[in-house]
Amino acid sequence: MTTVNRLYRAVLTPKLPPRVERLARIYREAPQYKQRLWVALFLLAVVSIAMVSALYLNLTASAAIAGRQIQYLELEIETQQRVNADLQLQLASLLSVETMERRAYALGFRPVERDMLEYMVVPGYVGPQRLRLTSGQPAPAAPGIPPEFNQSLLDWLNLQIRAAASN
Amino acid sequence: MRQQYQWRSVVLIVFFALLGLSILVQIVRIQTSEQANDFRDIADLYSGYYRTFYPARGDIYDRDGHLLAGNRTVYEVGVNLRDIKNPETIALTVSVTLGMNYDNTLASLKNPPMNTNTIPPQPLVYLVLKDFVTPENAEYLKEVKQNLDDNYTPGGDSLAGLEFKPRLARSYPEKSIAANMLGFVNFEGRGYFGVEEKYNDLLAGVPVRMWVPSNPNRVEEIPVIPSGASLVLTIDREVQLAVEDILDRSVASTGSVSGTIIVMHPQTGEILAMASTPQLDLNQFWQYGQVYNNAMEFNRGISQIYEPGSIYKVFTLAAALDSGAVNANSSYLDIGYYSLGGAAIYNWDQGAWGPQNLVGCMQHSLNVCMSWLADTMGPETFYTYMRRFGIGHPTGTDMSGEAAGRLKVPGDADWHLVDLATNSFGQGVAVTPIQMLMAASSIANEGKMVLPHVVRSIVSNGRQNDSSVQVIGTPISAQSARLTTEILATALENGESLGLVPGYRIAGKTGTAQIPAPNGLYLSDQINASFIGWGPVDDPQFMVFVWLEKPQSEDWASLVAAPVFKEVVERMVVLLDIPPDAIRSQLNGQ
Repeated sequence: MTTVNRLYRAVLTPKLPPRVERLARIYREAPQYKQRLWVALFLLAVVSIAMVSALYLNLTASAAIAGRQIQYLELEIETQQRVNADLQLQLASLLSVETMERRAYALGFRPVERDMLEYMVVPGYVGPQRLRLTSGQPAPAAPGIPPEFNQSLLDWLNLQIRAAASN
Repeated sequence: MRQQYQWRSVVLIVFFALLGLSILVQIVRIQTSEQANDFRDIADLYSGYYRTFYPARGDIYDRDGHLLAGNRTVYEVGVNLRDIKNPETIALTVSVTLGMNYDNTLASLKNPPMNTNTIPPQPLVYLVLKDFVTPENAEYLKEVKQNLDDNYTPGGDSLAGLEFKPRLARSYPEKSIAANMLGFVNFEGRGYFGVEEKYNDLLAGVPVRMWVPSNPNRVEEIPVIPSGASLVLTIDREVQLAVEDILDRSVASTGSVSGTIIVMHPQTGEILAMASTPQLDLNQFWQYGQVYNNAMEFNRGISQIYEPGSIYKVFTLAAALDSGAVNANSSYLDIGYYSLGGAAIYNWDQGAWGPQNLVGCMQHSLNVCMSWLADTMGPETFYTYMRRFGIGHPTGTDMSGEAAGRLKVPGDADWHLVDLATNSFGQGVAVTPIQMLMAASSIANEGKMVLPHVVRSIVSNGRQNDSSVQVIGTPISAQSARLTTEILATALENGESLGLVPGYRIAGKTGTAQIPAPNGLYLSDQINASFIGWGPVDDPQFMVFVWLEKPQSEDWASLVAAPVFKEVVERMVVLLDIPPDAIRSQLNGQ
């Protein structure tokens, strides 16, 4: 008895009515029966492999797309940092002391002389304080890339198995 | 029939099995062959690349937060030589747009230089045409390239291969303002001079070199690279601009070779302004060689030593009072000369000024009187005080390129007893302006000598660290400092100095120093004119040092340097909101 037949017999209920048992035996002994069975098992294997492959391909493609997005975002961060630096410098140039002085002169202002000043007490006035460029809190760290974006299916399975084992 | 098909099936199965097997064998054979490592290396070359991530260089601000040094985008324009379609078009376009030589560019494109980093040397794959290209020019080139690509016909014009790599480079929005103390950053990103060099490591940050895989599945997280630390300086840009303006006008009007003005807060050591001529537009730092003859000219305030002349008498007086050699009531009979070490010391006018108290000695700037003070103290005491004042040593200020100066002391091969006399009035001693300020701060600041500095805060990783007052030492007592200040202020008032500012009581001293020639003799027609002063005397808020080198308009510092001091103070009390003494007393009383 072949392995397939044993498997078939194990799957089918052995306690069948005699008539059904006879028909089943005739069917099992039909010449095309074994070929169909092999074809079915082969197709089952192919479909199974195709499904796993499709799943793997899907995950890989998703990871690749995410990877490309990360690369793009990293480039975008660099670009934005350069834009910020350029804008900051542009603002500083527009507010440079020479530019401001030139604009003030153009608007009719003149530097005040020592003997033109009058001093008075302003209750509650607090003079210039030391410049603070920070809030006193350290800069927050950038979020890291979750492992889902750079681990393979096997890595993920391995991780799940380890996690399950540790629990 | 079935047998025939079965045979064919067997043949096909065997064929494909052998094919698959041979592929497997070949895979194993290649991976275990002698060349396997070479293949892996080649594969690694295409799997990614190492890239160094440079953090943005930290910014530099003045004390009020105005940006003095920032960053801007520049482009490196290069050519990927494998992608070139028409080298003539590239050479012509970049020569017109970027001002490059057409023939040289074309020759480089057609016969690229060899990459000597490879063994054996191989032709370059990527050729840098020009760096530090402005965004405007880069955008224009990109646009031209796109237009040519859209209308490309084989053999026609094309800029294919031209590549643009953006990055940040140093830029100075205030151009030449505070250039002497800021320094600059060269093409390689290294700071030179001033705070740019002194704090280069902090400003530049820590570059990170990492592998960047081409395979998106293997993308690595780029670590957060913090920018370089930012600096907040002590200088006030309005005061700095005013000082530079006054200095430029003074140098021009007096016909001086150069000039230096430093403004410092005598109680904290914070430098509010520091200017010396000439100044360089830091955005065009490559013109350094055309502007300066040597490195010490970049910031004369810390790098250039000179014989200070009579302003040095301030320290002799302070030392004599503090050591107890003389007191406030001491007097001296000036007979026109003082003999010491076999030499005779004379006054600036060769005259005898008769009986003089200490105020008179300072008011008339008598060399003979100073020689007497030094001789009374003796060499050991005199030079001990000079060392306490920091003469002949770098102050340790936070700018790069500080010179030490020179103070000959007993025991040195070239020291003679007459040096005690000449040193007492500022001859035979070499100092830097920053040394003079630091030493004088002890007199203005109740005996406490503070370190001159320009960095007020360092901002790094979201935290701001503020500098504090650093007292270097206490060379004289508070009582001696107050007495010295009083004598100097009275001397200025009695002498009706041109450095006096109405409404503000000021202490100070002029210095007219002859310039030693290489043969050791002093030039008769060239002087260094200096003035150092501080005020208001009862609560000093500023200390101003003025030095004009070889002025041609007048022969005396009292006529050349003192008016410059006055002009600086008059502008500064407005900008720093320092009321006149009388008003300040009223305000304090309210």
